[in-house]
Amino acid sequence: MRFAEHPILGTFPRGRKVTVLVDGQEVEAFEGEMIAFALHADGIKTLHWTAKRNEPRGIFCAIGHCTDCMMIVDGVPNVRACITPVREGMRIETQHGRGEWRKQNEKS
Amino acid sequence: MRKVEVAVVGAGPAGLTVASEIANRGGKVLILDENAKPGGQLFKQLHKFFGSSRHLAKERGFKIAQSLVQQAQEAGVEIWFDAIVIGIFEDRVLGVVHKGKLQKLQADRIVLATGASEKALAFPGWTLPGVMGAGAAQTMMNIHGILPGKRILMVGSGNVGLIVSYQLLQAGAKVEAVVEAAPKVGGYQVHADKIRRIGVPIYLSYTVKEAFGDSRVEGAILIQLDENGRPIAGTEREIAVDTVCLAVGLSPMAELTWVAGCQFTYINDLGGQVPLHNEAMATTVPGIYVAGDVAGIGEASSAIEEGRLAGIAIAADLGYLPNSEAEHLKEQTRKELDALRQGPVGGRVGQAKRALLDAHATYIARQAGREVKERAEATWTGSAPEAPRARAEVPSAERRAQGPVAVIECYEEIPCDPCEEACHQGAIFVGEPITSLPHLKAERCNGCGLCIPACPGLAIFVIDESYSEDEATIMLPYEFLPLPHKGMTVKALDLQGQLVGEARVLEVRNPKAYDCTPVIKIAVSKELSMTVRHIALDEPKERSTV
Repeated sequence: MRFAEHPILGTFPRGRKVTVLVDGQEVEAFEGEMIAFALHADGIKTLHWTAKRNEPRGIFCAIGHCTDCMMIVDGVPNVRACITPVREGMRIETQHGRGEWRKQNEKS
Repeated sequence: MRKVEVAVVGAGPAGLTVASEIANRGGKVLILDENAKPGGQLFKQLHKFFGSSRHLAKERGFKIAQSLVQQAQEAGVEIWFDAIVIGIFEDRVLGVVHKGKLQKLQADRIVLATGASEKALAFPGWTLPGVMGAGAAQTMMNIHGILPGKRILMVGSGNVGLIVSYQLLQAGAKVEAVVEAAPKVGGYQVHADKIRRIGVPIYLSYTVKEAFGDSRVEGAILIQLDENGRPIAGTEREIAVDTVCLAVGLSPMAELTWVAGCQFTYINDLGGQVPLHNEAMATTVPGIYVAGDVAGIGEASSAIEEGRLAGIAIAADLGYLPNSEAEHLKEQTRKELDALRQGPVGGRVGQAKRALLDAHATYIARQAGREVKERAEATWTGSAPEAPRARAEVPSAERRAQGPVAVIECYEEIPCDPCEEACHQGAIFVGEPITSLPHLKAERCNGCGLCIPACPGLAIFVIDESYSEDEATIMLPYEFLPLPHKGMTVKALDLQGQLVGEARVLEVRNPKAYDCTPVIKIAVSKELSMTVRHIALDEPKERSTV
């Protein structure tokens, strides 16, 4: 959930609205938001399933260190979604295991 | 290979300050930061800072960040963003991946101001989506305006746990509980009081036994601990939460310092392994300095002062500052640092920092082949003894009956004095050291309430028991939305957040000078004047969302 008003920050400043594709579904986000947070606001908490035990992982450290939030972004696996900003038309995929490189036009 | 005079890694409070100190005196400084923006973690600090009113006190963290960034820009500091330092080699050569491209830089001096990372806590379910660092939650809500969850469990009652809990409440979440494994609250009492009076329970000698849920957190089980920290079977209680925040301490982010070959020692009160450094913040590797949390966990104000120390030392070293002047400036800065490192929290850091300096001196002496007495043992893990809790003075019943008067509920030695400066009547005295408890000269206080928004701990209230036959008025700080309005009836809460009666809102003051700490004046029945410390709106409106 994105809040509109904050007692200290006032009206929360947001960037331009953009649309990203998450596992093929359109999700709205705002420019400047990191992928993981934009998805969280949309109710998507699982970003990655682990290689060995297939366990769900979400945002943990939010500073790009823990690697729990790795996703496949525009065909590139292991992108740290917590420190990578959204971009109009970005193709984002939940990563399973170590992830795979995808060709430009390949469907996920 | 590009040559730079000074390379600073990290554009947080320490790094920006180092850079400004050197660049202002003519040095050429390049800051390398892996993020997209400068300021480090300061931009998510929305609360008013403690400190000396001559410096940064009662400024909110994000505003301090803005001014540090501006200072660095005005000083002509160059900053590279999206610049990840991947290695430090001989002769101070840095490997940097800047915007995806590997570059090599050679620096005359390197300052590592890389900050800290949050410690984790492992328990069944700790990897479930919804369990996150308290700092992660803070970034999400305060930088991106996104609520981490609706119902929160906070693990840890240090200042981070308490402050982030308060900020979660401000953002519109419900903090169901704070658990603390120790038998006492870790952070400052004023920070604990801010969430207690809203009704957040702080369970002492409790921890989280497990978090559960099907692919996301749906709840957690808490368990009580005995005096040895072992869980007591049968004391489990389940709470429904969607988010578990971990605020169990920070560690220096010291990877680069290790890579550079600096010597380390383990000091628990500084967050674990910390690089040895001297009073000028120089490490054991010539030309490499540290500043801020990487040199031992503290807080932002002391990170700034440490940055200043390193900056002055380097500027002098490079010939931009006469040594005599540098010594004088360093002495001043050390005094500021000492003032920040007093009291129950800062005092522990101060003592640990002295142990770190000793360890550095011992190492240098040994390297030089000098005999060193065993006194300065490199590892020091103890904690400073707890200072006796000073008693707060409350204005007498006679004084309260005469008219409005400030009640200052600040019982711990905090390095903080804005209340003194805020008072135009000269009724509040802090003096030196600034960790002294504020002393109220009740006969001088006219109950104007200017000290209320000036207090970063939100610990000052103005009580008027002369208001009417059966009612008293209370002025209190209220940093939440929606604000009540004049004439409204609201719930009156005590220090524990318990409902104790009704209150009528008489006035809402919110001028710009109060910096987003509105002051609400309420009328309550007279016997509640020293009980009521917070209000709750009867039917909180649904917060608007985007």
